[in-house]
Amino acid sequence: MTTRQDDGRDAGAGAMRTGLDRARAAERSGDDAGAVRWALAATDAGDDLAAWSAAAGVIARCLPRTASLSRGARVAVLGSYTTSQLSALLPVAAARAGVAVEVYECGYGQYRQEILDPSSGLYRFGPDVVVLAVHAGEAQLPAMSQDPDADVAAEAARWTSLWDLLVERTGARVVQHLFAIPPDVALGHLAARTPGCRATMLAAVNAALGRAAGSRVALVDCDRLAAEVGKRRWFDARYWHRAKQAVSLGCVPLLARHTGAVLGAQLGASRKCLVLDLDNTLWGGVLGEEGLGGIALGDGPAGEAFAAFQDHILELKAKGVILAVCSKNNDADAREVFERHPAMRLRLDDIAMFSASWADKPAQIRQIASTLGIGLESLVFVDDNPAEREVVRQLVGEVDVIDLPPDPHGYVRALASYPFFETPALTAEDAGRAAQYRARAQAAQLAAGATSLEDFHRSLAMVATVVPLDEVTLPRVAQLVAKTNQFNLTGRRRSQAELAELAADPRTAVLCVRLTDQFADHGLVTVAIASQEHDVLDIDTWLMSCRVIGRTLEDETAGLLVAEARLRGCRYVRGHYLPTAKNGLVADLFTRLGFALVEPAASHGVRLDGACSDGACSDGAHADGAGANGLRSDRPCSERPRSDGGMPEHRSGATSWLLAVDDAVSPPGLIQITRTDRELEGTAS
Amino acid sequence: MDDRLQQVFREIFADDALVVTDDTTADDIPAWDSLAHINLMFAVENEFEIDIPDDQLGSFGTVGELRQFLEARAGAR
Repeated sequence: MTTRQDDGRDAGAGAMRTGLDRARAAERSGDDAGAVRWALAATDAGDDLAAWSAAAGVIARCLPRTASLSRGARVAVLGSYTTSQLSALLPVAAARAGVAVEVYECGYGQYRQEILDPSSGLYRFGPDVVVLAVHAGEAQLPAMSQDPDADVAAEAARWTSLWDLLVERTGARVVQHLFAIPPDVALGHLAARTPGCRATMLAAVNAALGRAAGSRVALVDCDRLAAEVGKRRWFDARYWHRAKQAVSLGCVPLLARHTGAVLGAQLGASRKCLVLDLDNTLWGGVLGEEGLGGIALGDGPAGEAFAAFQDHILELKAKGVILAVCSKNNDADAREVFERHPAMRLRLDDIAMFSASWADKPAQIRQIASTLGIGLESLVFVDDNPAEREVVRQLVGEVDVIDLPPDPHGYVRALASYPFFETPALTAEDAGRAAQYRARAQAAQLAAGATSLEDFHRSLAMVATVVPLDEVTLPRVAQLVAKTNQFNLTGRRRSQAELAELAADPRTAVLCVRLTDQFADHGLVTVAIASQEHDVLDIDTWLMSCRVIGRTLEDETAGLLVAEARLRGCRYVRGHYLPTAKNGLVADLFTRLGFALVEPAASHGVRLDGACSDGACSDGAHADGAGANGLRSDRPCSERPRSDGGMPEHRSGATSWLLAVDDAVSPPGLIQITRTDRELEGTAS
Repeated sequence: MDDRLQQVFREIFADDALVVTDDTTADDIPAWDSLAHINLMFAVENEFEIDIPDDQLGSFGTVGELRQFLEARAGAR
């Protein structure tokens, strides 16, 4: 599906027309199946009412002449507003979801009479599915209630009793449209704290219906759809007053699409497996060209976009979507990324079928389907490459293909807008359900129990991992060294080559630290480089990304440096503070960590680069304002590329600091430390 | 006849062969009922990016009058 613009008129209209032209051409040449396929593809491309109407015409004429859909259903649309447009578009939307439907529409606003009257047209029709297409104005709730709980319960009960009656009399499945809550609220922000306000009660009724919906009732969350396109667009007063259109005609195609998807899922037609390309889909760059360390993932804006896309995919997996990989790559190289890249969210055991080879993608996809034992019509293919998408569309037409936008920041929305992974209900077997409950319990504890900063830090369940400086981490380390301004004790800039050289020197220790917590993976955020000079471990470079300032990671890093000194038989750790225009944040760091100021004379021999002078020592009285809890995190982030790309301008007042290893205070221990950089030497502690 | 207007009619009435002229009226197109008229007005508003006021909504006796209205609107901008 094409990502649509969020504003104004239908951005996908052009793409829809292209599909429609092909559908008409196919229809004229007697290719009914082709006409159906192109008409359905046109509805993927946009939400233009006229184009949808035309597509509905093609479907009405051509679909009955093909036997392309194995599922069929009789669908009754019972509405509280003018539902003729929705009813007219539902056959094309349902066909897109894999179900051929015959639609019965009740008279305007007659939903209740039709359900209550056993001799109504509804029951003569004999529906398999009943769509309750109702709007917020229909809810029997006052503008302001004296007893909101009772009013909400009564309104929810009114709908659930209609469901019960329908199920009892017809055995049909029910698709209930939840209320889209109008945005024009007289009470303003006061509504949010007023349970008796109508808008607040509407939300409560939606929630109550969500809880009450059993296995035979599916919900379409119209409030979310309305919010997605913008409520000012969803609610169009002119067409409400003119023709009792409670849903703007421009939004009816969207409502039809989602109603069709939910209806299809009720009848078992939803898609089950997401087939993922790798290069430029799960990470940025081509693995075969860039190598493991060169792909964009986790760090930097593009890297974060790909990581966010992977997170979204994991959420789909958690709701039961099967994941497969389909890539043109060397199998071992592709797997290595999953096994070794520290920012990969997806692991090999998340992937049900891993297909990386140089075979063409249609062949790989057929192999995936047969290996997993599912039909091609259960697969959805995601690839950044338009050529690969096209070849899959043409050669394995049963597979749904999602168009990714050129920019990876749009990937999540493109996938989230795809509606055919709808599942009727989460079952106990759905992966991740236990984890969801656990997270919910933890969030509740957080809200209830975080009375001190220390408690809060504990509750974050932070884990710092010391990782080796290698081909994977080197680009990020170099980036941090080049860009970190605030938490940067010496402000020394070094190239990748210089860093690699330092790392190779046995006298030098390089600590690269990643930080994760229960909410997020912050990536590689801290770097410390220290060199042994006899019995002193001298901290040449120490920096930390501003995104994790204020979490005690600097205390733990100090602990790691002390441990490193002990391991090497050093008696002292020596640090330097070289003031720059932006690193006042850390002026007090060594004092806070228990280091003693060294007289300028004692700092001879310290390696200082270029413009830095170790001669001018300040009096050590730094009025930075960092409190006992460490560093303030309320400063604006300045970790961004420097326009000059060179050395920061060092100011006078460089100081050196010494800490006796035996005097070192243990770090607070609010972060669990693990090491993957010391496999051969064992863990140092 | 304006190509875009022709296209709107063909799409709303899902009839690829439909040809409307200035003289076409609702009576000439069997499917042109009050509901189709609402869809048509919405689609015209959408296609031409204008708002048709309430008092104009039911005033078009022929397609030609609608076309002239659209041209006047386009000229006014």
